[in-house]
Amino acid sequence: MTKGKFWRTESTVAYLFMIPASVFLLMFMFYPIVYVILMSFFRVNKLGDLVSFFGWGNFRFMFDKPEFWQVVVRSCVWTAIAVAVKTAFGLVIALLLNVEFVGKRLARTLLIIPWASSVPISAMIWQWTYNSDFGLLNHTLRSLGVWRNPPIWLAEPRSAFMANLWVDIWCGIPFMALVFLAGLQAIPQELYEAAEVDGATPWSKFRFVTLPLLSGVLTVATLLSTLWTFNDFNVIYVLTAGGPGTSTDILITYIYKYAFQYLRFGPAAAMAVITFGILLIVSIVYARSYFREGAL
Amino acid sequence: MRKQLVWILVVVFLLGIGGGVSAQRKQVSVLWAEYDGLTPDYASNLEAAFEKEYSDIDLNIISTPWDKMHDRLIAFVAGKQPPDLSVIGTRWLLELIDMGVVEPIEQWISKDLFNNIDPALMEGKIKGVLYGLPVAAGTRLMYYRSDIIDKVPETFEEMLQVAQKINKPDEKFYAVGMSGKKYVELTEYAYYLFGNGGYFFEILPDGSYGKCTVNDEAGVGALTFMNDLVNTYKVTQPGVTAYRRDELQDLFIAGNLGIFLSGGFTATLLEQRGATFEWSVAPMPHFEGKPQSTIIITDSIVMFKDSQAKEEAGKFLDFFYSDPWRLEFDKLVGFPPVTKSLANDPAFQKPVYQVMIQQIPGAKGWPLMPEWPECNDIIWDNIVATFLGEKTPQKAMDDAAQEIDSIRGM
Repeated sequence: MTKGKFWRTESTVAYLFMIPASVFLLMFMFYPIVYVILMSFFRVNKLGDLVSFFGWGNFRFMFDKPEFWQVVVRSCVWTAIAVAVKTAFGLVIALLLNVEFVGKRLARTLLIIPWASSVPISAMIWQWTYNSDFGLLNHTLRSLGVWRNPPIWLAEPRSAFMANLWVDIWCGIPFMALVFLAGLQAIPQELYEAAEVDGATPWSKFRFVTLPLLSGVLTVATLLSTLWTFNDFNVIYVLTAGGPGTSTDILITYIYKYAFQYLRFGPAAAMAVITFGILLIVSIVYARSYFREGAL
Repeated sequence: MRKQLVWILVVVFLLGIGGGVSAQRKQVSVLWAEYDGLTPDYASNLEAAFEKEYSDIDLNIISTPWDKMHDRLIAFVAGKQPPDLSVIGTRWLLELIDMGVVEPIEQWISKDLFNNIDPALMEGKIKGVLYGLPVAAGTRLMYYRSDIIDKVPETFEEMLQVAQKINKPDEKFYAVGMSGKKYVELTEYAYYLFGNGGYFFEILPDGSYGKCTVNDEAGVGALTFMNDLVNTYKVTQPGVTAYRRDELQDLFIAGNLGIFLSGGFTATLLEQRGATFEWSVAPMPHFEGKPQSTIIITDSIVMFKDSQAKEEAGKFLDFFYSDPWRLEFDKLVGFPPVTKSLANDPAFQKPVYQVMIQQIPGAKGWPLMPEWPECNDIIWDNIVATFLGEKTPQKAMDDAAQEIDSIRGM
């Protein structure tokens, strides 16, 4: 049986193979994104249906709320601190795990536990850990005499924010460490040997060999971490649900509140578009610096 | 090859038969609230018993924690995939009616069931149309450690005096439980507000809601007293803003609280978990010179317009409201019965039920308005701001009232 010309053209067949994935993407990614953008410019009823064109009304409604700006700033601070700490800790752990020592395999296995655990369950465990009277953290601090009157972590705005932040960092460090470790292992050993011949100190080797060759991995990992951290709903929702008051709300929890608790889909969509915009700008800046450095 | 083809055909045929059988069974889905005290076995037993009685109906009970009910239901409704039936807090009913998704329910249930429900509990009747059957209804009351407290406080002022005597924070024993972390509704504030003769809104002559009144003397007085308990007298557990109502309940059951204001379900949990101390219940305290008043909370079960199995859903309601299943349900959740046929059952003659029933005449319900979930959060956030020392009670309630009136266009 001879096949028709159509089937002989490899690129055409490739397009055919792409159809299912393209349809899936259109249905489950592009349609919701386009609909949310539309919603942000329309009056929307409580069922999420578009009612009438509202222009920038939903955006103005949010911009007029001082609380919204606090949430935006908090989201940026939250992301900046969390990503910076995750990157620093992740890099240190990766450097340690890249050295030969007894129990290295066990250490790598233990490292993966927070990443492998479900985030909501991790957050629930931390919620118990933070309990002022019966939690492990305050009990340990008191028992060791480190802190006689430790704070009630989830009761005050600042400590609640830090408590949330730490759980996000705790969940995110393993990913960073493992990605950095993979990057470190891809650096040719000869470069370090050459540097040693030239009399390089350990710091010089790190500064002039490790960091430049790890920059591509660093960029990708921190970009991914930025996107995930900015949208980390689980930790805050489980630990404090945005409280006390609204003091630990970030954009993603605030959007949830407006959409599914108050049924104000218009303002919620406007905030979702703003979030999308912020993350798009961050991604473009990252991508530009990544390609400019010729990492690929 | 031929043999394989025959096998494939046989499998397809059998699957077809199976599919045909299941296609004949009408599906009924129920969004089911996990009440405190209600064991998971109850829902699975109910499902099995109903399907045994009605083999042509496939019942799917979707169990959901109470504090996730509203958001989950809204996600179903907004996704145009509502269940056939759902348990709701009756205060959400106006919101659902506003969305145009609930079905008048009376025509889908039997006359016997309709006549067996106490008309006084039909809060789900809006402008003469019954949208929701009461599932649970009960007033909130005061639990106290009867092994420690000799004289039961009748007023909040007396409660404070007792609290100052029994509070022992060094031994992790706190006189009064207070929750400041959101958990479904702001019941805590309602206890003190209603006990001070106040309400959330002014009631206009036609029965509709006027301006928000939480910043009047009663509203500010209630918050001032709560704040004094927390920050001046320090007779509550520390870190009130970190405690949800259910976590506070655990603290009471663990023996770390002297007084805890709650609903009938706490009594069930105290028994289920075998509390080792002596406890008792009393009517909710009120402020001196004000009439005793507490909050009455009703939950309802509603049917959705989009249901493709209304008749079958009605059969489920008749089944669920039959005496054996309702008796078990009421006993587990700790609310007095909503059906007349169980009113005199010996199971409901305990003090906790007696107190709940005794309080009904002076009790007030939640405001029934579509914007209530947002109003609820606004008031709560301002109460927390007071506890944290960011606002005075007057400023907090002024801000809350102003914002609520603004979103309601008043």
